[in-house]
Amino acid sequence: METRLIKRDALAGIVKKLSEQMTVYAPVKKEDNVFFKVLEKGEEPLLTYANTKNAPKNFFFPQTETMMGYMRTERGMELKGDNIADMGDAVLFGARPCDVRSFILLDYVFDQEKYKDPYYIDKREKTTIVSLACVTPPYSTCFCTSVGGHPMIVEGADVVLTDVGDNYLAEFITPKGQTILAKLGDLPTADDATLAKKEELVKKAEGEIKSQVAGSAIKPWLDENFEHPFWDTIHKSCLACGTCTYLCPTCHCFDITDEVKGDEGKRVRTWDSCMYWLFTIETSGHNPRTSQKQRWRQRLLHKFRYFVDNFGAIACVGCGRCVMYCPVNIDIRKIVNDISKL
Amino acid sequence: MQKNPYLPIPVDVAKITTEVDTKDIKTFRLTFVNKEDEENFKYLPGQFAELSLLGKGESPIGIASSPTQKGYIEFTVQKAGVVTSTLHSLEEGTRMGVRGPLGNSWPLEYLEGKNIVIVGGGFAFTTLRSLLNYMIHEENRKRFGTITVVYGARNPGLLIYKDELKEWEKRDDVNTFITVDKGDDGWKGREGFVPTVCKEVAPSSENAVTVICGPPIMIRFTLPVFFELGFSKDNIYTSLEMRMKCGIGKCGRCNVGEKYVCKDGPVFSLTELDQLTPEY
Repeated sequence: METRLIKRDALAGIVKKLSEQMTVYAPVKKEDNVFFKVLEKGEEPLLTYANTKNAPKNFFFPQTETMMGYMRTERGMELKGDNIADMGDAVLFGARPCDVRSFILLDYVFDQEKYKDPYYIDKREKTTIVSLACVTPPYSTCFCTSVGGHPMIVEGADVVLTDVGDNYLAEFITPKGQTILAKLGDLPTADDATLAKKEELVKKAEGEIKSQVAGSAIKPWLDENFEHPFWDTIHKSCLACGTCTYLCPTCHCFDITDEVKGDEGKRVRTWDSCMYWLFTIETSGHNPRTSQKQRWRQRLLHKFRYFVDNFGAIACVGCGRCVMYCPVNIDIRKIVNDISKL
Repeated sequence: MQKNPYLPIPVDVAKITTEVDTKDIKTFRLTFVNKEDEENFKYLPGQFAELSLLGKGESPIGIASSPTQKGYIEFTVQKAGVVTSTLHSLEEGTRMGVRGPLGNSWPLEYLEGKNIVIVGGGFAFTTLRSLLNYMIHEENRKRFGTITVVYGARNPGLLIYKDELKEWEKRDDVNTFITVDKGDDGWKGREGFVPTVCKEVAPSSENAVTVICGPPIMIRFTLPVFFELGFSKDNIYTSLEMRMKCGIGKCGRCNVGEKYVCKDGPVFSLTELDQLTPEY
């Protein structure tokens, strides 16, 4: 593995230069919020941020994505072909390790042996992921260590950047990451002292995550208690706004709809949410999940039970977005911990 | 890379048959525009497909034809929502799309060598028809034991596949029992609810499997009859329905517990259903 040093004040400029050669999706500040977006010409990424408001999943799995276009002909609507936009090689820059882990979880869903999702996979394969390790945890709501992560975990990343003071230590982990190295210009090789410092930071960072959640411990209870009075207690203040699912890096549910204007139309997919009544309503009027209680149970069970059964991992990376942005302060950490005490 | 599973395969509506007096259930015979697509569309009874109308949307519907019927596929569709209503307004010759085949199938390997009891109610006879036509095909018939069919509808006008019902009744290798809840002046056949008829017919549970599809109320009253006849939950199969979009286990809406009806189903044995979370 190649390890290099990048001067602290040079990094933003290097990424800006990179964005002139390829698509770079990076954090930028918009008004009071930090968002991931594609860097425009001359735009520099933000380096001093805790985490972005939106999860970077939007890059591989956009909130709205055209799947195919069609046109009205004499025979009716005829397909114009799929719409897998070839954006070419890209870099996702500055994703936090928790968000990077979410792609491994999304891969389980979108990149299965039998059914592959070409829209997701195309972008995923062409994108090099540069993660920015959390030397100090961004927020008090972070709980990555409780759900299989670590503030400085490298899993899923092609390149990992660690703030070691005057420099960023850059580790080029995968062959994809190596390819990027060639585009970054001359960079000095990292010295042993820096590598040792990183190891120290790794040890320290883990202890900095104060929020602890009984992530995997509740699985046996969830397996046995689909019906339980506890489920009557968590949803009462829920507004069913869906913010938690939209900001969640691992939520992947979507809707497919058709949009027609004049003689042209498109089939699009958009993020959907299990928190909505409409999500499961059938044409007959039957709805298997009529109450917010059932929908909350579904959300929790999907993340902490069903996903574990299907893929061996909890579908939560501990980023804390749903905790921070829930308008009525529903805290999934508290729910999980309350369950662990039952 | 595989073909894009979201892209509909172009088909033409070759034939439309109105099945019932109320005219809200039609069978659509679809032929493939490209020979290659036809060859690749390898399906088994019990599977479904997304009927795809560009500009309207998609609807998951069980395949009503049998793979032994070459050159076309058939779907029997009730007019209900946007897509199915549009479908009902189509004329023969219209081009549309199909995505599939999707889901698992009736457990054909397991059914081989066994006596088969098919129980259907209302218009939920579609993939059962596929199974029946598959089993009675000359190349397949000897691989299955006795075949008993109990099929019922509310009234004679609501029975679907009327011509085929007559054909099946004529065969001596299929025991066919057609019933209606209430007959009309022209009805000379059996009257009675499906569970009652099953009780009268009393098929032996010896080396037998029941495959049942119908309205929930019919299934609820029919199952005890089969339990009493000695059928175990391993030997009763049914097919589930759920709101779906992608049909390939990604969009997240048709799960019952950790299973997706689209991908892990729609066919489940009662034993398997008992293991699912009680969410429907």
